[in-house]
Amino acid sequence: MKPAQFEQHEPETVEEAVSLLESLDDRAVLSGGQSMVPMLRFRLAVPETIIDINRIESLDYLEEDDGWLTIGALARHADVEHSELIAEHYGSFADTAPLVADPQIRNRGTVAGAIAQADPKGDWGSVLLAHEGEVVAQGPDGERVIPADEFFLLPYDTTLDENELLTELRVPTPAPREGSAYHKLKRKVGDYAMAGSAARLVLDDEGRIEQAGIGLTAVDITNVRATDAEDHLEGERPSSELFKRAGELAAEQSNPESDEHGDVEYKERMVNVLTQRALGDAAERAGLVKQRVSQ
Amino acid sequence: MSSDSERFAEAEDGGPQPEKHCGHGRGGMGEDVKRKEDQRFITGRGNYVDDIKKPDMLHCEIVRSPHAHARIENIDKSRALDVDGVVAVLTADDLREYDLATMPTLMADTQDVLVNDKVKFQSQEVAAVIATDRYTAKDGAQKVVVDYDVLEPVVDAEASLEDDAPLIRDDIEDKEDNHCLDWETGDEEATAEAFEEADVTVTEDMLYQRLHPAPIETCGAVGDYDPGKDKLTVHMTSQAPHIHRTLFAQVSGIPEHKIRIVSPDVGGGFGNKVPIYPGYVVAAAASYVLEQPVKWVEERSENIQSTGFARDYDMTGELAATDDGEILAVRTDVLADHGAYNAVAQPSKFPAGFFNIFTGSYDIDTAYGSLTAAYTNTAPGGVAYRCSFRVTEAVYLIERMVKVLADELGMDPAEIRRKNFIQPEQFPYESSTGWNYDSGDYEGALDKALEMADYDHYREEQQRRIDEDADKLLGIGISSFTEVVGAGPGKTCDIAGVEMFDSAEIRVHPTGNATVRVGVQTQGQGHETTFAQIVAEELGMDVEDITVEHGDTDTDPYGLGTYGSRSTPVAGAAAAVASRKVREKAKAIAANELEAAEEDITWDRESGEFHVAGAPDRSVTITEIAAGAYMNHPSSEEPGLEAVNYYDPPEMTYPFGSYIVIVEVDRETGEVEFEKFVAVDDCGNRINPMIIEGQIHGGLAQGIGTAMLEHVTFDDNGNVTGGDFMNYLLPTSMEIPNFETGHTVTPSPHHPIGAKGVGESPTVGSPPAIVNAVVDAMSHAGITHVEMPMTPDTVWAKLDEAGLATDPADSISLEFEDQSSDTTADD
Repeated sequence: MKPAQFEQHEPETVEEAVSLLESLDDRAVLSGGQSMVPMLRFRLAVPETIIDINRIESLDYLEEDDGWLTIGALARHADVEHSELIAEHYGSFADTAPLVADPQIRNRGTVAGAIAQADPKGDWGSVLLAHEGEVVAQGPDGERVIPADEFFLLPYDTTLDENELLTELRVPTPAPREGSAYHKLKRKVGDYAMAGSAARLVLDDEGRIEQAGIGLTAVDITNVRATDAEDHLEGERPSSELFKRAGELAAEQSNPESDEHGDVEYKERMVNVLTQRALGDAAERAGLVKQRVSQ
Repeated sequence: MSSDSERFAEAEDGGPQPEKHCGHGRGGMGEDVKRKEDQRFITGRGNYVDDIKKPDMLHCEIVRSPHAHARIENIDKSRALDVDGVVAVLTADDLREYDLATMPTLMADTQDVLVNDKVKFQSQEVAAVIATDRYTAKDGAQKVVVDYDVLEPVVDAEASLEDDAPLIRDDIEDKEDNHCLDWETGDEEATAEAFEEADVTVTEDMLYQRLHPAPIETCGAVGDYDPGKDKLTVHMTSQAPHIHRTLFAQVSGIPEHKIRIVSPDVGGGFGNKVPIYPGYVVAAAASYVLEQPVKWVEERSENIQSTGFARDYDMTGELAATDDGEILAVRTDVLADHGAYNAVAQPSKFPAGFFNIFTGSYDIDTAYGSLTAAYTNTAPGGVAYRCSFRVTEAVYLIERMVKVLADELGMDPAEIRRKNFIQPEQFPYESSTGWNYDSGDYEGALDKALEMADYDHYREEQQRRIDEDADKLLGIGISSFTEVVGAGPGKTCDIAGVEMFDSAEIRVHPTGNATVRVGVQTQGQGHETTFAQIVAEELGMDVEDITVEHGDTDTDPYGLGTYGSRSTPVAGAAAAVASRKVREKAKAIAANELEAAEEDITWDRESGEFHVAGAPDRSVTITEIAAGAYMNHPSSEEPGLEAVNYYDPPEMTYPFGSYIVIVEVDRETGEVEFEKFVAVDDCGNRINPMIIEGQIHGGLAQGIGTAMLEHVTFDDNGNVTGGDFMNYLLPTSMEIPNFETGHTVTPSPHHPIGAKGVGESPTVGSPPAIVNAVVDAMSHAGITHVEMPMTPDTVWAKLDEAGLATDPADSISLEFEDQSSDTTADD
């Protein structure tokens, strides 16, 4: 690796990091380095200064707090992958973590960093959208909370202010009859998604879908919500027919491009297939009995 | 040379026997000796080119063209030279002063070292920046300003042969099109007749896609000119250091004895490190001019985008057969993409390599093949990626076509192979395209593989799933391949005119241990162990007492290098023959030590000792003989105990095997999972079974990469879109199933120790087995072919075409249980 020359700052508090962001012009934030290091290596990023936030210990957490699952900016993919809390209550997070890149990258890369990177092929954005989560940012004027729906703008571009540091991600703790799942299709371990779908279902006491959230990966300019499918699901009883129609609606709402990961027809088909799968798992985790029919 | 080979090639006791592979406990033939080289590799003490550091060493970064086709109008070095630490910027104009602006390829084409006039592929070498460290060199490279007049590129072989295609090679006098060469083999007329008369004919188009060998160590060199000695040393990632020295001498005009090529530890070659690349020349030239060492090491994407690719054969295969499955004739037509220069790496008299072995393991009387090669605006290549010169393409063609024919006839693909195999008694067998197969028992290997794979059970399971309309289809693929490895003979095979022999030199030291030097060069194959085992076997020494050296042209005997599985067939033979020459002299010394007549001395392979015939107690060991050679040499002999052999093989060797792959195909997504992977190989007598097994595993992994993942792709503007590891997908342990390996032993009759090459069999043999398996999962619905790499989208398109694609929700039922029930469901 032969990056261009840069200076490195290693703040130990959020305040210090934010003041560096404010005072330095040409700078980039380094957390896990999952994307930043390759960009430095290809000299796609040539910042004068790197602000390495890895020494801000207060950002290293993954816990439930007052009705929220909170993920600090330094929580690694591996922390999510190996968390008992996640394994027990957050199906989509448990599904996603082991599908991100490879073990080496998961040991360093952070969930928050991936969200801040806003790569439309990233997995976590879909999960955050499906859970109607929030992004917490710290700026010179204090803390700001951004709903996930309002966070992603374009590939690699978000509504985060340039002087703000993303400090936390959070999603509501699950309702009694809630289940979520994530399905991703990739060509090999470590590959970006060809397509991915995160689904979250909340059922009412009668078994009807009270709330549905679906987030899609790698099929638009950002991670996106499949709102038509969500609307179609809400108020209905889960069934094969319902999920097939939801899959079709998600595919219709997606907007993939042909590339080395497949053509448009295939990707739309996979949005459909993966959404059906995610809904099936989410429904099961919400308490339905899922059985394979005789085939 | 040949008289030595004849005299010593046949061991007096018939050589090592296949049945006695338990060895003699000294680490000879057939023993799982732990690899001697691994001590340094696993303790981080390897010495690769990038580990080499010299005082005052400078670093080279190459400026590469972002365009695939462009004329260079101007190169402005000034801003780069202003960068603190940049020592020099070289362009073609600078190299021209030393007559180094161009260099010959292995096929005698002329390639620019640095672009003289027109860029012919993306990432071609335009200028070189020499600086005090590698970061500064890169800074400087970014500041070289090149003005390009961008031309229309053509990156597709078919398009490049169209009349209105842009002309790539205007540097060749009178060249008016992008046609590179034509080649044919076999009997066109007889083949056409056979096709007309046949009951059944089948045809299939298949692309063997462009691959890159992608060794884990990229290419690199340290040029180190010593003005005091007037000697140029080049440490470089070379699979063939001796021939590279000869080429360096021819190109540079520096006398060959004033050049030393050192190939240190090499982190994989796979054919990628056979050609000479501009970076090597630039590092050496810069060192010569600046009189300081200069290091050049590629980045990963430079390696994939600019160095020798492999395959890129667009093939049509045809078979003619009787109704009951006897193959009467095979015909093929190929469009080959050679890139911007004709730089395929194969013996010079073989423009299509050994592709005409496409009759494979089958007794096919009639064959015809034709090939056209084209220039395109892509990196030059056509290297033998872990194979013997296009045998991979040939095996893919025939093994795919046999499956196509079996499906057409409704025959079991194992049965149709059995029906057409060359039979054991037919060896030595001359094929209809002129190859002389040494030995084989193809049915034996297939039967063993079928048994290991539990073939009949899986055929039943496959049918059950079809009958029950199951979510996942089962496919069973077979490949019964034959390889041709171990080039020469020198009279038919040469590299740049140098005959393809190889060599070994053995020096037994006074205290009874030995140094062996070979002309081939390991890149991970385990030569330091395997060759020591051959010498241990043939001299009755302990393998621990033997050190093998290679890769230094100043000290090692001349050889043609390691590729095409030629090390064991050629240099391995040389090591055995040289050992037998030592043994011959050892007899005279033994006679002197034992006070007996030389003709009464015999050597016992089992004990490794020399003794008086009829009196086994009167014996001496090789250690005692070594002492005698230096301390009490017989007056009839020269002192010392050493021998050298340059071995010109009489024929190539023909390793073979049968692979059976069982896959599950997901009808919802097109994903393919391996259910079972059986590989039975026959490489003749086995030297180190553990090393062979390692070779098989590695090669199968690469075969899986080929079949499932790898493809160097381009967009219409000539940009490489598969030029880094994010887009050129190599398999990892996560994509690799458990391999079940087995073997049969059919020794080569002409090889001194009965061995054949093996390192490449798995790469050659496995892709058609994998593709046949995926096709087999869908052949009941009329699918005859799936192109590689078989990524999920490729497979799903075939499922969709065959009406086999399904919806996940159709295979589940959901039920809501009343509130009181437990809401957790097991998965």
